[in-house]
Amino acid sequence: MSSMGRALYSVGFWIRETGQALDRLGCRLQGKNHFREQLSRHRTLMNVFDKSPIVDKDAFVAPSASIIGNVNVGPGSSIWYGCVLRGDANSISVGAGTNIQDNTLVHVAKSNLSGKVLPTLIGDNVTVGNSAVLHGCTVDDEAYIGPSATVLDGAHVEKHAIVDSGALVRQNTRIPSGEVWGGNPARFLRKVTEEERAFFSSSAVDYSKLAQVHAAENAKSLDETDFKKLLYKKNARDAEYDSLFSENLPKAA
Amino acid sequence: MATSIARFSRKTLTPTLIRRFSTSSAALATNPDPPKPKLTPSPSPNRANWDYRGQRQIIPLGQWLPKVAVDAYVAPNVVLAGQVTVWDGSSVWNGAVLRGDLNKITLGFCSNVQERCVVHAAWASPTGLPAETLIDRYVTVGAYSLLRSCTIEPECIIGQHSILMEGSLVETRSILEAGSVLPPGRRIPSGELWGGNPARFIRTLTNEETLEIPKLAVAINHLSGDHFSEFLPYSTVYLEVEKFKKSLGIHV
Repeated sequence: MSSMGRALYSVGFWIRETGQALDRLGCRLQGKNHFREQLSRHRTLMNVFDKSPIVDKDAFVAPSASIIGNVNVGPGSSIWYGCVLRGDANSISVGAGTNIQDNTLVHVAKSNLSGKVLPTLIGDNVTVGNSAVLHGCTVDDEAYIGPSATVLDGAHVEKHAIVDSGALVRQNTRIPSGEVWGGNPARFLRKVTEEERAFFSSSAVDYSKLAQVHAAENAKSLDETDFKKLLYKKNARDAEYDSLFSENLPKAA
Repeated sequence: MATSIARFSRKTLTPTLIRRFSTSSAALATNPDPPKPKLTPSPSPNRANWDYRGQRQIIPLGQWLPKVAVDAYVAPNVVLAGQVTVWDGSSVWNGAVLRGDLNKITLGFCSNVQERCVVHAAWASPTGLPAETLIDRYVTVGAYSLLRSCTIEPECIIGQHSILMEGSLVETRSILEAGSVLPPGRRIPSGELWGGNPARFIRTLTNEETLEIPKLAVAINHLSGDHFSEFLPYSTVYLEVEKFKKSLGIHV
């Protein structure tokens, strides 16, 4: 009976070899339009010559984020999917417990209208919303940059200040502590309420916890992810039923 | 062999990095203006600088697995995390991030989320509407948009670079111009054109314009079919990995 198993194994092997040969034939037929898949060359942490990023081991950096050049990321911070932190011309420093949400760009300018080139300094427990653009600016601790906001060169967002969503903070604007600025160009809207202040400090903590969940999932090796896929196939359950059991996730906005 | 070389080079590099960081922190200490980093980052020697697998497209969180329909096109550099359902005929284009970790995200039949969008769902919404993000059928979401806990009813067009905040509702057959910002809880009535930051009423849509909306979604569906057919059902990267390992002398 083992000879039967051996026969089946070698037949299977021949079929696989034939398949690979057919794949090569198909590529030949496609001529110069054929596409060969490459290994992903995306590097999450990339150094530009001698400027290399220093990222704390407790920080979550999504694999699709790009941290390039002179960037310091403190403990407990999280850099989410699709972010680009490009510290090639000058330095970027991100404090502890800060979250830089999906798809944001943090750049430093090489040339500037006023001629000054400033590093980007982001303090501790700052929440930078989705798709924001931070360019050569200083953000103090526990500030909140709204989703899709743009903060330009030399701007200084002080502690507990809020930049509303979609705002454009022009060059060298100073946003004083405890104020909400918004609009294009950004102007003073109102003062920050007490509950907003408390909310933003708790949201930074919640985001750190959420980042740990994502970090654990992204760090899984190929064996672990395949095993999980197998488990899902075996216990194919209704998605609605599954979404009822979500007590373990922290509340964050 | 490659990993040992990498470990050795990292060991020689880190002392120079630590020296450079300590000199820069000394410089910061003398300058009172910028905030001093209170905790010095401790770089982990095992932090991977390069993983050949890249970013996984589908990231299950806990017991939630993102579900993609068989004929939906999801670009390779999209990130679907948590509770995301992409229904039939829909497409998610390059660089989009659909993060359903706090709440559900649904992309309905023949809808499309274009390049570099971020779709997120908050835990709770300020309005009474459910905090999940629901994008119904035949909706076109333009490039670089940000959708957060909003509900988009059937047959809408959301312009490029628009921002829809928590609890907003875009009713059927309405169009949002590019760059519009919907504050939390804003409702766009049916059949109207809104735009601006914050979004204001511009005009009502004519009947011909309303008929064009599902046609745009179907056209993008056809385009996504072209992109979808560029990809083989299974990736052939394993051939590259085998070649790579062979060149490094690792036993395949």
